Amino acid sequence: MYRKSALQLHDAFVKGELTASEITSYYLQRIQTLDSDLESFINVFSDRAMAKAEELDVKRATGAPVGKLAGIPIAIKDNIQIKGEVTTCGSKFLSNYVAPFDATAVRLIEEQDGLVIGKTNMDEFAMGSSTEHSAYQTTRNPWNLSCAPGGSSGGSAAAVGGRLAPIALGSDTGGSIRQPAAFTGTVGFKPTYGRVSRHGLVAFGSSLDQIGPFANSVKDIALMMEVMGRPCDFDATNVKKTPENYLDHLETSIQGKTVGVPWGFLDELSDGAQKVFEEALDVLKKTGVKLVEIKLTKLKYSIPIYYILSTAEASTNLARFDGIRFGKRSESAKNLDEIYDLSREEGFGPEVKQRILLGTFVLSSGFQDAYYKKAQKIRTLMIQEYKKAFEICDVIAMPVTPSPAFEIAGIRDPLEMYLQDLYTVGANLAGLPAISVPSGKNGNDLPHGLQFLGPQMSDGKVMHFAYQFEKALNLTGFIPPLFDKESAV
Amino acid sequence: MSHISYEEWEPVIGLEIHAQLKTRSKIFARSPNRFGDEPNTNIEVVDTGQPGALPVLNKEAVEIAVRFGCAVNAQIAEFSKFDRKSYFYPDSPRNFQITQFDMPIVIGGEVIADVEGKSKTFAIHHAHLEDDAGMLKHFSDFAGVDYNRAGVPLLEIVSEPCMSSPADATAFATTLKAIMEYLDVSDCNMEEGSMRIDTNVSVRPKGDKTLRNKVEIKNLNSFSYMEMGIESEIRRQIRAYTERPHEDPNVVVPSSTVRLDLDKKETILMRSKEEARDYRYFPEPDLPPIILTKEYIEKVKRDLPELPHERFKRYISDLKLTEYNASILVNDKQLSDYYEEALKVCKNASALCNWVTVEFVGRFKDSGTPLYKSGILPEHIAALVSFIDSKKITGRIAKEVADIMAKTPGRDPEIIIKENPNFQAVHDTSAIEPFVDEVLGANQQSIEDFRNGKDKAFNFLVGQVMKLSKGKASPDVVKELIVKKIS
Repeated sequence: MYRKSALQLHDAFVKGELTASEITSYYLQRIQTLDSDLESFINVFSDRAMAKAEELDVKRATGAPVGKLAGIPIAIKDNIQIKGEVTTCGSKFLSNYVAPFDATAVRLIEEQDGLVIGKTNMDEFAMGSSTEHSAYQTTRNPWNLSCAPGGSSGGSAAAVGGRLAPIALGSDTGGSIRQPAAFTGTVGFKPTYGRVSRHGLVAFGSSLDQIGPFANSVKDIALMMEVMGRPCDFDATNVKKTPENYLDHLETSIQGKTVGVPWGFLDELSDGAQKVFEEALDVLKKTGVKLVEIKLTKLKYSIPIYYILSTAEASTNLARFDGIRFGKRSESAKNLDEIYDLSREEGFGPEVKQRILLGTFVLSSGFQDAYYKKAQKIRTLMIQEYKKAFEICDVIAMPVTPSPAFEIAGIRDPLEMYLQDLYTVGANLAGLPAISVPSGKNGNDLPHGLQFLGPQMSDGKVMHFAYQFEKALNLTGFIPPLFDKESAV
Repeated sequence: MSHISYEEWEPVIGLEIHAQLKTRSKIFARSPNRFGDEPNTNIEVVDTGQPGALPVLNKEAVEIAVRFGCAVNAQIAEFSKFDRKSYFYPDSPRNFQITQFDMPIVIGGEVIADVEGKSKTFAIHHAHLEDDAGMLKHFSDFAGVDYNRAGVPLLEIVSEPCMSSPADATAFATTLKAIMEYLDVSDCNMEEGSMRIDTNVSVRPKGDKTLRNKVEIKNLNSFSYMEMGIESEIRRQIRAYTERPHEDPNVVVPSSTVRLDLDKKETILMRSKEEARDYRYFPEPDLPPIILTKEYIEKVKRDLPELPHERFKRYISDLKLTEYNASILVNDKQLSDYYEEALKVCKNASALCNWVTVEFVGRFKDSGTPLYKSGILPEHIAALVSFIDSKKITGRIAKEVADIMAKTPGRDPEIIIKENPNFQAVHDTSAIEPFVDEVLGANQQSIEDFRNGKDKAFNFLVGQVMKLSKGKASPDVVKELIVKKIS
């Protein structure tokens, strides 16, 4: 069953070949036996998921119409609220925080009868590229357990890669869906900024954050986007457009379309990654597309720009974690200042503290012009440069990461870690839809990803190109060997 | 408090007025905007800054800001935006306030106010939208926060430093309050905190063009405290500059924030400029900019109700009220509306004004109840004035009737008069004649004076007759009889 895509599971459920209870207990069993290797889940909702599945079976038995996600188990990154469940954000600060409301994405999933099975591990407050900054556990890469799954949505990526869930939600502020997708051989999609409501997503960088899905096929991604890409009145930055039908357009040929490649921006690629990328482009050409070179000269500034803007926003977004209203309050605090100081001192990990300090600094009077304001200006130039590039190409293709998954604790220098985001942050800064789709493996048997980016609102086009590429590459059984097996009962 | 001798000094005063807006829901959330409920009942996830909860702008608050801007003849920004203002305080649900830092929705504008009988124009710098904080409540062994107020929409109106006396400041604030009341956009109740005023005060030698350091006075929750605070601060600064004439003025009066100590009636230092916080303003990424079309702004402008200065003009030109009387009515919208109700029944505008603003308001002064809440119907006051005009009763009797109306609110004056024979004016010549004869007999000198053209003497004679009749004689009949007998 683990080899089935989400759509196949749904079809089997609708046809009566599998019950929702069978599917759910199958995946719960897989999580129970295999997740000790991955540690991808922070919390598993066995009772809740089984109860929903049984309800759904009754619903189907009575002949009532079922939703688009009926029969599909879905894991949720632990920075997305599910009413009544703890939302930790991978932080000690929120170890006791029970969500008082459902994120819009979760509500939409449950309205379509998706089966929420648990919450996945992540870098604390989504700050990191390896999931090593979780306060709870170290998630491992299903392709090589000594490697990191990437981050910050490493738990979701590892769970989908290891087939512990056919679908998972992640969030992407600077690459936190696409980089772990590339590292785990899964498909990960960051929608156009505002396409999926952020209501209920614990904010990191508000102008960059997007919720998006992980899956093992582009079709499953398209299915999820049909469900989640809807207007929401609780998010003022949300796109108020009628939802689109993505699945219907995937099969259309892309012959004659143009794909831009920013060759001048790919110096950082490792040799192995360069080879996989070039091979991927050859495959892409088989679909009949034309490759053109595009120039994205401002992209070289994207890392500093991103770390200025995202930390500036984060420093204020995380100010609400003060020990007054929710989350952990330091037990040693004796007065108001100590409640603030000690609760934050004890509750936040070092990476989060570092970014709050950085964000506070770049907004400080006397420094704001040199950092925050200048970064905003370059962000505007970068957006214009993308616009210009899209005048000569339909989508952009580029690698997701400079190199494949690295060993756990393999990167010590934070600046080197920040370079992980080199090819991904551009899409966040410009609000573009971007997808990471598996493009093969290198000599170490670690997967690589190919990234497609499109203009704002062209989510369907990006999925379309990714689907055509996936079809042309035809990676059959791209499953981590360690997890390409039934779990022992 | 004795009057300050400004002599060589010119005070410069600017006000920052926070007005809570009367919207149905909060500025960034759907929870109700209501005062006085049980703590933490009018809240939802946005108001307590729950992670993942996002602000969504209330259009009603925007419309109110635009209405206000149009009413004070300001420029309405077609593009304005919100910013985050960072500071830690338990009543702040996110530890940043959402405000408009450098692109406010209302730019400029002016207010025409009556200061001690003179009309003055005061300039507004800008007005911007922001959210209110919650409130700290202190108990014997702990403190709590009530977030009901968190997210109540505020319009912060910032004046130019264009005022030069406490009276100016009061006139400006009173007029703004009246404008808000006429627009029906804020309760402007200083006791309940729906209107809060911070003042900036500096003084400079008369004739100087440059401004000296300003001192901000916080926590002024009534107009009289505001005047007290400003006056005390002006004195303090003049005293400081006078005592240390050779020192750098920046050292003598550093920029600072003070509060008014109500017992000492003095301003007390809270923090100096060096301790000022860095609020680290930057654009609020969760809220798109406010973009307004010219058509929208024009429509709001067209739909404005009558404003205080317009009503003031109407009272003077159409009703012929004095400026003083007109401004007393106009500055109190509810009283003015009450007066207009009465005016529908009685057309004697100036007599009615006197009866409303002096006689009846005066009868409730001690109880503190506003006349419009007393239970006395405006048409009853109108009826009373009409009875005087139609000579049904004399002014003196009318005052007695008014006393009864104030004691038993809602009673019809017509019935009060009918039930008491003493209240009915005497028109019968034969009943009045003896009084006239008695007065004329005793006042030969006055009769002489009258014959020599002194009107005063005549009025004296009439008054004496009225006195004898205990106010019941019809003054017209009395005058008629006197004239007949002595000419």
